[in-house]
Amino acid sequence: MKFTRPDYVFLFLATVSGALCYVMVGPGVVLEATGDAAWLLLIILPQLAAGLLIGALLQRLVSREKITRTLGEGSGIHGLLLASLAGSLTPGGPFTSFPLVHAFWMAGADAGTLIAYVTSWSLLGLNRLIVWELPLMGWEFTWVRILVCLPLPILAGLLARWLTRISVLALAKAPAE
Amino acid sequence: MIVALVIIWGIVVVLSLQVWQRMGVTGLTASSQSAIQQFKGLMFRLPLALLMASFLVRIIPVETMTATIGPQSGLLGIAIASVLGGILPGGPMTSFPIALIFLQGGAGIPQLVSLIAGWSVFALHRLLAYEAPIMGWRFVALRVLSSLALPLLAGLLAQVVVLAITFY
Repeated sequence: MKFTRPDYVFLFLATVSGALCYVMVGPGVVLEATGDAAWLLLIILPQLAAGLLIGALLQRLVSREKITRTLGEGSGIHGLLLASLAGSLTPGGPFTSFPLVHAFWMAGADAGTLIAYVTSWSLLGLNRLIVWELPLMGWEFTWVRILVCLPLPILAGLLARWLTRISVLALAKAPAE
Repeated sequence: MIVALVIIWGIVVVLSLQVWQRMGVTGLTASSQSAIQQFKGLMFRLPLALLMASFLVRIIPVETMTATIGPQSGLLGIAIASVLGGILPGGPMTSFPIALIFLQGGAGIPQLVSLIAGWSVFALHRLLAYEAPIMGWRFVALRVLSSLALPLLAGLLAQVVVLAITFY
C-alpha cells in the first residue's frame, strides 16, 4: 500500500482544480465540492466493490485462452459485436463497468473489443436508456438517437485496433497471473 | 440506482456460487484477494479523482454555451454540441434534464443527438474520475482518439434521418 506515481498525478490535478475553484468561485464552494465528492465516494463504494469482485470471479470462470480467442486481437468483427452487445447489457455506473473492463484486459481481450465495449456501454446502455432517456426525452427523439448510434461502437473498436499499430498507443500486454 | 445495485450484487452472488462449485472455498478466497489487491491500487487515486471532478464541475461554464445549438445551427451547431456534450458535468441524473431543457428550448434534433453522444463517449467527468485511475492514461488516450469523430458522425446521420422523415 504505497503512494505510486499515478497517485501523485491525481494529487496534483486535484490540487490545481481545487485552487482554481477557490480563486474563481470562493472557499465555500470548495468545501461544498469536497463534501459532494466524499458523499459520492460513499455511494459508489458498494458498486465499485461489486465491479471488482465480478471481474475477479469471471477471470476464474473463463479461461484465458477462451477470452483471447473470443475477444482478443484475432477475434475480428465477431469479437467487436459480442463486446458491443455485452456493453449495452451491462447495468450500473462507471464504477462497476471499468473494473470489469480492466479484468477483461488482464484476461487477454484486445484494445478493439475493450473500446467497443466501453463505447457501447456509454452510448447504448439499456439501463440508462430505460431509466433516463426514454422517460425524459420521449420516444420520438430516442429512436433516432439509438438508430444513428448503433454502428458507432464497432467503428470505434475498428479504429482502436488500427491505432494500436502506432507504438505510443499500443496497450501493454496483460501480465499473466 | 437501487435496482441496478440489486442486479449487480445478484450477479456477484451467481458468479460466486459457480466459482465455489468448481473450485470450492479456495477459488472464492483467491477471487476476493485479487479484488482487494486491485482496490488497494485505487485507494488514494479514486478519492483524489472524485475530488478533482467535483471541483471541475463547478468552474466549467456550461450554460453560457447553450444558445448556439438551435435547429438552424447546422454543421457548426453539431460540432459545438459534440464538444459541449463532452464537458457536461455529472451522470445521467444531471445531463438528461439539461438535454431536456435544450429540447424544449428549441435545439435541433441532430444537434441534441451529438450532445448526448458527446456526453456519452467523452464525459470528461467520468473519464477523470473513473477511467483514468482504473485503466490508465494510455487507454484513455487510445479510446478518446478512436471515438473523436463519433458524436459528429451521429449528428450527421441524425440530420439525414430527420431530412428523410420530413420528405417522407
